[in-house]
Amino acid sequence: MPPRKRPLEPSSGMPAQPDVKPVISPPPKSAPAPVPAPAPVPAPGPEILPASILNNLPGPEREVYKRIYEAGNKGMWSQDIRYTMKLAAPTLTKLTRALVQRGILKEVTDVRHRGKKVFMDARIEPSPEITGGTWYHNGQLDTDAVAAVRRRCLDQIDRLGAATPDMVHKGVEREDPRAGYSIDQIRDILQTMALDRVLEECRSTGEGEFSAVRAGRVCYRRGGAPQGGMIEGIPCGVCPRIDECSPDGVISPPTCVYYKKWLQMDF
Amino acid sequence: MVSQHGILLATGLISDHFGPLVAKVCDCLLRQGALQLQEIVRRLNLPPGQVKNSLLVLIQHNCVQAFSSPSPRGDRTMTLYLTIFNNVLHRLRFSKFISVIRADIPESEALIEGLLQNGRLTFDQLVGRTISKVPEGTIRPAREEIRMNFNRLVSARYVERCPKAEPHFNPQEDEQSTTARKRAPKTAEEVLSLEQKVVNTATLSDPERFSEIPYSMEDASKTNDRPHNVVAGAKRKHGAFEVDEELNSTIAENEVLWRVNFEKFIFCLKKKFCADRKKPKLKVGTHPIWESFFEANLTDKDTNSVTSSIGGILEKLGQKEGGAAMSIGQIQPVLEDLQCTTSTGEEFTFDLHKMIEACRNEEIESLVKKKYGQEAFTIFRLLVTQGCAVETDQIIDTTILDKQIVHSTLYKLWNDGYIDTEKIASAAGTGYAQFFVWRAKNTFREQFVDNLYHAALNLRQMVNYIAELLLEGSKDETKLRNRKNILILALTRHDDSLLLFCDF
Ligand code: SF4
Repeated sequence: MPPRKRPLEPSSGMPAQPDVKPVISPPPKSAPAPVPAPAPVPAPGPEILPASILNNLPGPEREVYKRIYEAGNKGMWSQDIRYTMKLAAPTLTKLTRALVQRGILKEVTDVRHRGKKVFMDARIEPSPEITGGTWYHNGQLDTDAVAAVRRRCLDQIDRLGAATPDMVHKGVEREDPRAGYSIDQIRDILQTMALDRVLEECRSTGEGEFSAVRAGRVCYRRGGAPQGGMIEGIPCGVCPRIDECSPDGVISPPTCVYYKKWLQMDF
Repeated sequence: MVSQHGILLATGLISDHFGPLVAKVCDCLLRQGALQLQEIVRRLNLPPGQVKNSLLVLIQHNCVQAFSSPSPRGDRTMTLYLTIFNNVLHRLRFSKFISVIRADIPESEALIEGLLQNGRLTFDQLVGRTISKVPEGTIRPAREEIRMNFNRLVSARYVERCPKAEPHFNPQEDEQSTTARKRAPKTAEEVLSLEQKVVNTATLSDPERFSEIPYSMEDASKTNDRPHNVVAGAKRKHGAFEVDEELNSTIAENEVLWRVNFEKFIFCLKKKFCADRKKPKLKVGTHPIWESFFEANLTDKDTNSVTSSIGGILEKLGQKEGGAAMSIGQIQPVLEDLQCTTSTGEEFTFDLHKMIEACRNEEIESLVKKKYGQEAFTIFRLLVTQGCAVETDQIIDTTILDKQIVHSTLYKLWNDGYIDTEKIASAAGTGYAQFFVWRAKNTFREQFVDNLYHAALNLRQMVNYIAELLLEGSKDETKLRNRKNILILALTRHDDSLLLFCDF
């Protein structure tokens, strides 16, 4: 199965060149020296529960826990536990219920299969694969949140003309520091907007409307009014029954209701 | 192979213009490919004389090309007839061709009209026709003047000498040479249809095809009352060289058949389409530059790009309001922004082919949006731009659309033949037995084009239907006439889509 999310970009190594062209001017005196943000260290998952706790668990419960712990942030489907451990369904239910009650396991909703019971170590954050990623809330797509961030991105593009995801991200943050969108989220949103042709992905030439963006950078600008639709002006262009229509058939142009309406043949 | 509705449309057009009999012959050739006369007679069960006459009409109007080929047993040569589908469809767009000439060489409009109406003519016939069309009481144009206007058309390549009447073409030999070439280093060789190959074989070399009617001194004294050359008399008066020249001119005027060069007209329409399509996207003040760029295109190097020199652009720009003040420094970035490329800064090239491809995609996407909604548009665009199979979850992730909506939309698009799906067994340990991948179907374009033909066919049928109602006589005559005009206009507009997908 292909990975659902792009891997984290390497945070170490050479600092990336800024997208924005350096403007040569003396720095304003009041501006504090930029403090480089600490590189995010990928948080290691929690260790397996200490032996002191594990040893207090009854054997079967301990086994179930270990298996589920090993499944990490993807969790484990109850059916899979049953098969690998060769347990009867009621037994498994009893074991997992006890573990959930102790606060050792939790049940999570898998966005792809809402009917499935998936268990996970209670201390682990479920992976985006399970939660559906940042735009999901309780396994449902948060369409309002998506619409809101699209609006904000568009505002930034309108303000900046052409801009890189980084520039849009900074702009959104400046306007609402509490919004807390990650650069990846902004990038994803910009990409869907380019798919919708609301925006257009292009490469900066460093000149004209791109003068604020370093040449060669991928950036986004307004997509312009959509073109196309040449055949939508005539009834057959968008007709749902075109496959059933033939010159001498039951459905044919002279008997066609769409044509009658279009030509206002009501005389 | 031409699609079903394409054949019906072509046959319909021929029937409208030349009657049902000729249409039958045309239909038979379109469905069966190249055939011998006897074979057509046998299949249609018509008298040979009628079939022969129909073929002559079709050849006269450049809709059929004959070629000779060895018989299957190889003991004799046979003559085969093949329909040139595109030339049949060009009959839909004669009015567009005339507007091209009206804008470029208005004084030659009547000549183009004559050739379009008659298919193939000698210059002499064309002169006779042109003179007879002049309204009573106005000055008749001199033969000399007509020739000048005619030669203008030839030098601009709007008119050409007709191709060889019956070139030799052996499909089997051609097959062998292609296979032989395949063993040699692999090149991206275009796969040509039989129709294209036969057309290519019949076409004259460029210098022959576009050689103008030679000018002879004698002409100055000629009057319109004496349109036919008196070669014998001339021979005695001039030296050998001049005799040759005159003979050439006589042949060119009286024997050579001329016709409209569709290729050139289509190229002009293609340029115009691209130039116009980009106009709504142009920034304020850049219109004159864009127009000048297209006007300055003089050499027709190939039909997939437009190249203009910076000098030519400046010159054209100078003739426009507010253009004279623009400098190279101002023009260059605008051209680059419009995706014109340059290597030296002297010449700029715009890739028409790329733009046409983009326009085709826009049209299909727009229809998907109209028929299935915004979400379908997004998903379809994702599949088209990815160009490969994409897994359901990845579609959900990339488009950030609701899972249920994605599922139902994928189903609709699949059901209507826009996309394909494949079930793939999952690797062990992922917890899923299988997953689905989706890709844009590579036949969705063909289907789209077939629908375009179908829509054109329907428009044409409606025009004829209303014409029939009008013939029957009705009290709503004005209303009917009105509707008929709407339909004719719609068909002309719709033909732009056909041009975009099939000819550009
Ligand atoms: S004639 Fe009517 S039914 Fe037939 S394709 Fe056109 S709109 Fe559809």
